[in-house]
This record gives sequence, structure tokens and C-alpha cells, in this order.
Amino acid sequence: MDTQKYYEFCTRVKTISGHNSLEEIPQALMDLNAKSPMIITDKGVSAVGLIQLVQDAIKKSKNKIEIKVIFDDVPADSDITTVNEIAKLYKEKGCDSIITVGGGSPMDTAKGVNILVSEDADDLMQFTGAGAIKRRLNPLIAIPTTSGTGSEMTLVAVIADHSKNKKMAFTSYFLLPDVAILDSRMTLTLPDFLTAPTAMDALTHACEAYTCLAKNPLSDSAALFAIELIRDNLLNVIKKPKDANGRLALANASALAGIAFSNSMVGMVHTIGHAIGGVCHVPHGVAMSILLPYGLEYNLHKTGHLTGELLLPLAGSEKFAAIPKELRPLKSIEIIRQLNEDLHKATGGRHSRFLSEVRNREGTQMIPKDKIRDIALTAQNDGSIFYNPEELDLEDLIMVIEAAWEGVPIDRKKIKMSKETSKVKIKI
Amino acid sequence: MRIENYPEIIPGKNPFKKIYLAIFLWITGRAIQAAARTDRVVKKEFEMLPDDFMLYLGVSPNGPGFVVGKDSNGKAKYMGAKLKGKSITLKMIIKNIEAAFLVFTFQESTAVGFAHDRFMVSGNLDEACRIGRVLDIVEIYLLPKIITKLAVKRYPNWKQMSPIRKHVGRVIIYTRAILGF
Ligand SMILES: [Fe+2]
Repeated sequence: MDTQKYYEFCTRVKTISGHNSLEEIPQALMDLNAKSPMIITDKGVSAVGLIQLVQDAIKKSKNKIEIKVIFDDVPADSDITTVNEIAKLYKEKGCDSIITVGGGSPMDTAKGVNILVSEDADDLMQFTGAGAIKRRLNPLIAIPTTSGTGSEMTLVAVIADHSKNKKMAFTSYFLLPDVAILDSRMTLTLPDFLTAPTAMDALTHACEAYTCLAKNPLSDSAALFAIELIRDNLLNVIKKPKDANGRLALANASALAGIAFSNSMVGMVHTIGHAIGGVCHVPHGVAMSILLPYGLEYNLHKTGHLTGELLLPLAGSEKFAAIPKELRPLKSIEIIRQLNEDLHKATGGRHSRFLSEVRNREGTQMIPKDKIRDIALTAQNDGSIFYNPEELDLEDLIMVIEAAWEGVPIDRKKIKMSKETSKVKIKI
Repeated sequence: MRIENYPEIIPGKNPFKKIYLAIFLWITGRAIQAAARTDRVVKKEFEMLPDDFMLYLGVSPNGPGFVVGKDSNGKAKYMGAKLKGKSITLKMIIKNIEAAFLVFTFQESTAVGFAHDRFMVSGNLDEACRIGRVLDIVEIYLLPKIITKLAVKRYPNWKQMSPIRKHVGRVIIYTRAILGF
């Protein structure tokens, strides 16, 4: 195993995981010297009663915590106007901390709000880029309701500015939440067609963190465990949605994968996935499930040996040992494709296996073939492309997206390979 | 002993490395301007950048570095080595001289430099991606293949960049970079 010549790693999120961990919120707030939190969430989360659970947990114990205000209207494509609006509300109501409950969108929004209210600023844009946030922000507790984004463990917030058609990335160790609360009750009601792709997003974070350019031993260990937890629990949870232990395991997997990719970044699967999200509004996890095998396949000549190592957590030690080294990389990819296939079956066909299959609620195809070029053009300007082991120009992106659209493996002859660095020869 | 009689020791000071970097970045900055007026791909990338675009690429804490922006006609322009008084929209800073030396002597490719947390980027990420591609092309023009191969992830084959485009472009870009037009 190689160690990076130089790397930086930081995770300092206090994590409270359990079947009743919400009850620890008051103590966590008091530890942070906060007593007037604001809750930031979205309508979907509050409609299924999850905010009620949080409120009950806080009221249950004797304490001085008072939830000042609940903002439950974060849109799916949250942007800077939402952030400004919530920041205003936070100040008006005299809040001193934030509890964010939800998937990626409420969490990113809450991080943005926290920058504004802590720095007492009006313009979020002055805090873009590394090093722009210079001091500790107000207390922030993150409670994920999907097991996928890992935002509760990451130092990044992506916030759009629709008026300028821009997406700004904010990265700072100060954006790491103070506390993450993983409670099985928060994901227990998540329907299978959302559980599957969000967990595949977490799997993608782990696989890309492990195989892309900024990998490091600390991230690697988190990534490997995340994969193992997903292997052992994802299909079971889809079949038995009320399995609280399985739910908690997936929440842990997602947090571990978040730790991994927050420090190692992700590669081309996210490059293309972000673009598909931007151009066709396909949910992030759906794009991840489909594209993950393609990303690993495209990079085989660079990082095949690493993809081969992923077979251990993907398949278990016995199968791993039974398969010769040079076949392991392809086997890893095959297992991920099979997992998508199994999820497709287990969800009654609602989990998509290729891009042309993705449909919205009305049943219309979300990614028409003529959008492939637009997707590729957008993908070229996604920051994650820097961390991918092999170069991808426009033509390469189109080639990969076309294969993922059809649902056929990449034609390896079409990959313009730079110098091979994989330590195992890939047998095709 | 009087402390003021002793020279101040500045940690990490290395005149040779600093001079090398100053020259390298001077050439690169001017070559970006030249390439944007010569190479159609670089030209196109610059067209896609916003009108107020201004890049600073340099070494922390005090340089060397260069500023390239768009002039009033929307053309790429080298604007000197100093950051002061300019409204930069994209800042790409290498954390220290040692890291910059590794990256700009190609002991570490630009991509690996990124992965090793050598850079701090502030500004719009898609502008950073465009500039990343521009820098790759500029290096292909400026340096012999044997060196550029160490800097970029994948050296283009003749289909992507014909030898004629490369060699003719190289002469023009060098001339323009040095004469500054
Ligand atoms: Fe993701």
C-alpha cells in the first residue's frame, strides 16, 4: 500500500449514533453553550413527522432549550435567496444555533446560513473559496434523514445562485458540523426507491475516495468500512424496511463515506453526476448508482489495483481470496452492476440501472439522448474532474455517458489511455 | 550580545527556487496571453470566461505570481506579477515555495499537486476548470513532450493536437510571450 507523500485530513464531528440518539440533542446543545436553536429542514421531512420527533426529544428532558423557530421550506434546489431569508429569520428570532434535519439540500443551506449569521454578513459570496472563513461559526447540529450525502461529516457546502446561474462551493473546516446525530428513526420511513439510490451515493463516495488521486490511509479505512456496511445491510433494508439495526448501519456507512470523501474528494462519477443533475434534474443518488461502475471501469488502467482491493469489502473475504488478483478489478465492477440489478428487482423496477431508464413521477424519460452533449459540456467544468485519475475531454465524457445511457459496458478500445499505472494487468 | 547585530533569518527562504519560480511564472503568464490569441481552443475557453475575469496564480505568502485577465476588448491580457490593486475573480495559490517548486519542476503533476492539497483555490470552480485546461495546453506549447508528460495527466495524441499545430503554435507563442503582443 502506498501512502500519499503529503495529505491533510480532518474530522472533528462529534457523532452520536443509536436508536434513541435524538434525546441527546439538549445535552449536545448545552455542551456548545447554546439554548435557542433554529431548525432548518424541508417540507418532505416535516410532513412525515420527523421534526415532531426532534421536538419531542428536546421537550422530553428537563432543560432550558427552546426551539425559537422552525423553517421547513428549504426547496430541493435551494439557493442564495433561501439562505438570506433564513439568516434574516435567525437574527429576528434571536437564535444562537442551528439544528438541520434532512438530506443534502437543508444541510448545505444551513451551512450557508451559519456563515452569514456567525460572521454577521449580508453577502455570502465573499466567503467562497478556501480560507475565506476565518473563525469558528455558531453551533450547528446535523441530523441526516437519508443515508447518502454524508453532509453531516463534510467541510463543504454547495450553494447555487440561480440569478447568475452559478454554483458556489464553500469549503472550510469551520463548516464541519459540531455534532452529527444518527438515529435509526430518522430513516425508518424512507421508501425503498429513495433508500437505494442514496445508499449508492454513499457507496460511490467510498469507492471514489479510495480510488481517486487524493486518497490517503485515514480516508481509506473509513471508505472500506462504509462499503462493508452497505454490502451487509442495503438489500436487507430494502426487503425489510423496518429493520432499525440495518437502518442505523446504513446511516453509519453514509457518515463513514462522508468522512472519506470530505478528505479525499471524488472523481468522474460525481463529475458526470453533478452535470446530469444540473442539466436534467435527475436526483443525485440515481445518477451515482448508474455511473459508479462506469467510473471504475474508465480508470481501470490507472487504478485497477485499487478497484481490485475494493473486492474485499464488496464481496467478503472468502470470495476475495478465491478470485485471482488480476480478475479482482473487473469482479468489483461486476458486483456493483449486480447490486444495481438486485435493487432494481427488489424495488419493483423503480431503481434505475441505466440513464435511458430514469423516469420522473409522471413516467417521462428524464435524460433524452439529445441532452448527452450538454451534460458533457457541463461536466467539463465540475471541480471533481481534477481528482479523477485519468483525463476526460469532451469526447471521452460523451463516450462514457453514451455507454451509461444504453446500459452497456465501456468499449475499452475507445479509452485514450495515458501511461498505465495500475499494479495489476487488467485481463479483458 | 546585541540581537539587532544578527541578520533576521527568514524560514524557508531559498533564492534559487524563488528565482526559478519567478521566471517560470513570468513566462507562463505571458504565454497564456499569447496562447489565447493563437490557439483556437484556448481562445474559446477565454471567450467563455466572464468579462471581469481576472486570475492570480501565485505562491503564498508573497509570490512570485502573475495576473492574467480580460482587457476592455475581452482579450486575454497579462497584467503583471503583482496582486495589489486588482480585483481578482479567481485566485489559485500554492501554499509555499517548496510545494510550488515540486509542481513547477514537474516532480509532481498539476493534478497530483491538487490532490496533495498544494493549492488553495478561491472563486468560481468552473473558471478554475477552464484555467486548468488552459494551463495544460500552454505547457504543451512551452515545454518539450518529455517534460510536459510529467505535468499533464494525458499528453494529447496527434489526432487531438497535430504536430503542425503544436510546433507552429510553439514558435508563435514563444515569440509573442517574450515580445508581449
Ligand atoms: Fe455524492
